[in-house]
Amino acid sequence: MTDASNVSGKSGPSGLETARYVSPRVVAVYGVLTALTAAVTMTVAIPFPPTRGFFNLGDSIVFFSAFVFGWRAGAICGGIGSAAADVLLGYVFFSPITLISKGTEGLVAGLASKALKSRPLALAFGVVAGGACMVTGYFLGEWVLFGLGPALAEVPVNIVQVTVGGTVASVISYPVSNLLKRTSHGTAQL
Amino acid sequence: MTGFVDLYTEGNTFLHQMDPRVKILAVIFLSALALIIGNLYYLLVLLAAILLLLAFGRATLSKTFFALKLVLRVMVLIVILWPFFNPTGSPVLFHYGIIKITEPGIIHGITVAVRIACLASVWYILMFTTTQRDLVRALVKMGLRFDFGLTLSIALRFLPTFGAMVESIEDAQRARGMEFDKGSLLKRSRNYVAVLVPTIVSALRTADMLSLALQSRAYGARKDRTYLRDLRMRPTDYAALALFALTIALPAFAKYVLQVHI
Repeated sequence: MTDASNVSGKSGPSGLETARYVSPRVVAVYGVLTALTAAVTMTVAIPFPPTRGFFNLGDSIVFFSAFVFGWRAGAICGGIGSAAADVLLGYVFFSPITLISKGTEGLVAGLASKALKSRPLALAFGVVAGGACMVTGYFLGEWVLFGLGPALAEVPVNIVQVTVGGTVASVISYPVSNLLKRTSHGTAQL
Repeated sequence: MTGFVDLYTEGNTFLHQMDPRVKILAVIFLSALALIIGNLYYLLVLLAAILLLLAFGRATLSKTFFALKLVLRVMVLIVILWPFFNPTGSPVLFHYGIIKITEPGIIHGITVAVRIACLASVWYILMFTTTQRDLVRALVKMGLRFDFGLTLSIALRFLPTFGAMVESIEDAQRARGMEFDKGSLLKRSRNYVAVLVPTIVSALRTADMLSLALQSRAYGARKDRTYLRDLRMRPTDYAALALFALTIALPAFAKYVLQVHI
């Protein structure tokens, strides 16, 4: 797994200067993961009877990107994808908070899941560390924007949502990455 | 797909014709204005001005309502909860144990709610009158790297596709007897594993194809990119930019230099 600073083409054959862009594979995978995060955030809503609210499973894709494609994908796709969902749902003023909260969630989850040897422990550590960042980020952001009361009211909701998303992501990330190794032409090895 | 994926409304008003870069800056200026104003009445005037601009942009009522629906819930929450957490000021209306409600607390709560309404609705001026393609183009013109802009366009292009894919896979699993709305929260979210795995796998296969397509079209072959449609500022765009800059500069000057209370 090489990183996103991988550039395509150094010097052209005919003396033309080639652009030092991120490789096409990274552009494609990051674009698709970003779209997937936004799409799952916007479509998959699990009704939650006690509060008559909805949970979205967007966090599961954020954690999935971080676990399978590394912290950079987690940060970029999680942050931008979730912020894009906010923008498209009409929550534009809220999207910077989402960008930072979910971005750090993906970043920290990706880093933490590499810190431990045993796989189940590493995933659990990633979910807890990333989830803590997300809940704290939203709390601080909402405190500034909405005041202390509404910010406190959101904390338990966010904790349940991040737990559900993290559980789903830990369940799917291992089989999916195995499946990708077997079937695709190396997307999993980005 | 639940809701509108693209808030853009077709039209030919002056807001549609304005350069997207000017619109982005104008919206940022107006948001900053909403943040520095502390007086409820001035904020209401600002909200009215924003709604007037939205009306000029031919925003349809149904889309405006759809977009504001989520924000209204937050506003109600703020108006109700703010007085409990910020019981400051002198006319105490209600006092029982640790619960204390004051008149300035209530007014401040309403002010914050109206400010949130301003911050939310000002962005609709941009979102309702600018295509997603123009938005990305403006961001690239404003200094975003081309490859990042391309990634963003790919994400926006595939968003509705994946949304539809999630829904059709949900239907396919339902046809096989999966019950998504039964059982405990954990059981329900576990059911969604059966939706997310096929979605992710087929999305990543799409990414494989996409990277081949990018390579075959000489992505990144030369440094000096040319654009089919270039953004160009017109004199009216400069005039609009100056106008919006004044709307933030004058109140900011009054508040921080002249120390006028606004």
